[in-house]
Amino acid sequence: MDRHLPPWGRTFLAIAVPVVAVLWMVPLAWIVSAGLRPSDDVVGSFRAFGWQTFIPDPATAENLVAIATGSLGRAIINSLVVAGATVAIGLAVSAMAAFALTAYRFRGQGIVFGLIVLTFMVPFEALAIPLADAARSVNLENTYVALILPGVGNGLAIFLLRQFYLDIPIELSEAAAMDGAGKLRVLWKIYVPLTWPAMVGAGIIIFVFQWQAYLWPLLVTTNPSMDVGAVALARLFGQYGVDWGPLFAGAAVLCLVPTIILLMFQRSFTESVAGSAVKG
Amino acid sequence: MTHRSPGVVHKRQSRWPAGAGAVLFLAPALSMLLLTRLIPTVDTLADSLRDDGAWSLANYARLATSQGFRDSVITTVVFNAIINPAQVLISYLFAVALAQRLPAVGLWRTLIFLPMAVPPTVSTIVWGVWFRPADGLINSLLAIVGLPDQPFLTSADQAPFVIMVIASWIGVGYWMTFLVAGIKNVPAEILEVAAIDGAGWLRRLTAIVTPMVRRQLGFVLVAATVANFLLFVPVQILTRGGPAGSTDLVMYEIYTQAFIFNNRGLAAAEIAILVVLVAVIVGIQFRLLGDRR
Repeated sequence: MDRHLPPWGRTFLAIAVPVVAVLWMVPLAWIVSAGLRPSDDVVGSFRAFGWQTFIPDPATAENLVAIATGSLGRAIINSLVVAGATVAIGLAVSAMAAFALTAYRFRGQGIVFGLIVLTFMVPFEALAIPLADAARSVNLENTYVALILPGVGNGLAIFLLRQFYLDIPIELSEAAAMDGAGKLRVLWKIYVPLTWPAMVGAGIIIFVFQWQAYLWPLLVTTNPSMDVGAVALARLFGQYGVDWGPLFAGAAVLCLVPTIILLMFQRSFTESVAGSAVKG
Repeated sequence: MTHRSPGVVHKRQSRWPAGAGAVLFLAPALSMLLLTRLIPTVDTLADSLRDDGAWSLANYARLATSQGFRDSVITTVVFNAIINPAQVLISYLFAVALAQRLPAVGLWRTLIFLPMAVPPTVSTIVWGVWFRPADGLINSLLAIVGLPDQPFLTSADQAPFVIMVIASWIGVGYWMTFLVAGIKNVPAEILEVAAIDGAGWLRRLTAIVTPMVRRQLGFVLVAATVANFLLFVPVQILTRGGPAGSTDLVMYEIYTQAFIFNNRGLAAAEIAILVVLVAVIVGIQFRLLGDRR
């Protein structure tokens, strides 16, 4: 943050930044417009470049109907179930681990923390292939359990929560424990509310991991009814004679879900920070 | 470490001593990480060292003489030598602009960040359609400014750059957020003093801000390197390694080895080499950045 930019520089940035940001998301906006076009218009909209390239004319909701009743709709619901369950379980598991690493003191604490850091240094994509073989050998192929599990243990989420928990004065939890509150209650009533932005951050990390997953669900699902949205979309794209309308309607839904979540939590995040500042 | 301030000692001592509690709190996360991260790591290493049911280095020996694997590694290294500096530079330029106090700057940051949250499959498909040579948006834009149609993904010269454009459109906004946080941490007083001393904004950027966000720049370089060495989705969906092996990045090579040729031992050895390669390059990057940790 530099408060001494020359005035022309500030004016330039005030114009250039919005222009670049809007251009940056043109592909996403185009996906939404493509999802509202009749299939034949999607790719055909390019040759005669004009406003019609970005505004569907005529617009139609038939693609949304097609995905709602078809396999892509089912795949998107799978994605929502998998991501939702992973965030809920993953946050509980990560918060407990971060709590154990900060509120307790035990031999080997450093080693445990080191192992957790190590797990996010080795990228999951590199492990997906052998892990998929293991999942297959215990009959977890085509199950929600297989889709959810790799997202639950998230070293980065634990790391983030731990950094915030370290700032909580231990006296606070000791006072609560003196009053007879159980350890789990201390975590839930003191640690979690005091570090809500970290919880939102960790939740977004876990959500994005699952929403972006491609290789892992590709490897552990053979039954199309267990496909997640991203995999179902890639399968459609790979077909000869692609039906573009429903494909981009599905793509639009897959874009809009994280967009809404980010915009929603960006606000609650800012508010919680502002709120804690007011309280001092 | 030997001299702790009294406050820290007090804090440490008043923590709860280990009991069954700590174990119970740690157990779910640790068992998940063990199951889905640590055991597969050991597994991969073991698989790579087995051949026909016996321990051996045969897989590594085969890779050492495999022209296909060597080409794939070279393609990946060259690809990364271009894309990583480019991503760091672009995300830093964005961060410098978006760390300023501008109208609705939070919204602009979110818009540039958005591609990161979208599934890479979706990003790959939209750019794949835009880059179609015969009827894609990019060629019709080129036609407007009077340029001839380009072959893009169907040309061995251009395909790697198209993949880079896709990966960078996804990644740059994400890297930018770390750099924005770093820039905003630079104390305003230091910039104030420098401005009073007559340092222009470019001088302040190069002599004060950039050295002070070196840690974040290092993190972004390392994280981008890891992400791009493992790039897979655009290659699998759009080019399948072609044309003429120009986009045959190692992750795709590993995938074909494991699932097309069904050769798990060889694939495991390739994974091991890839992880070691990334670790070595990250180590060199830390060295060059002069960060001892």
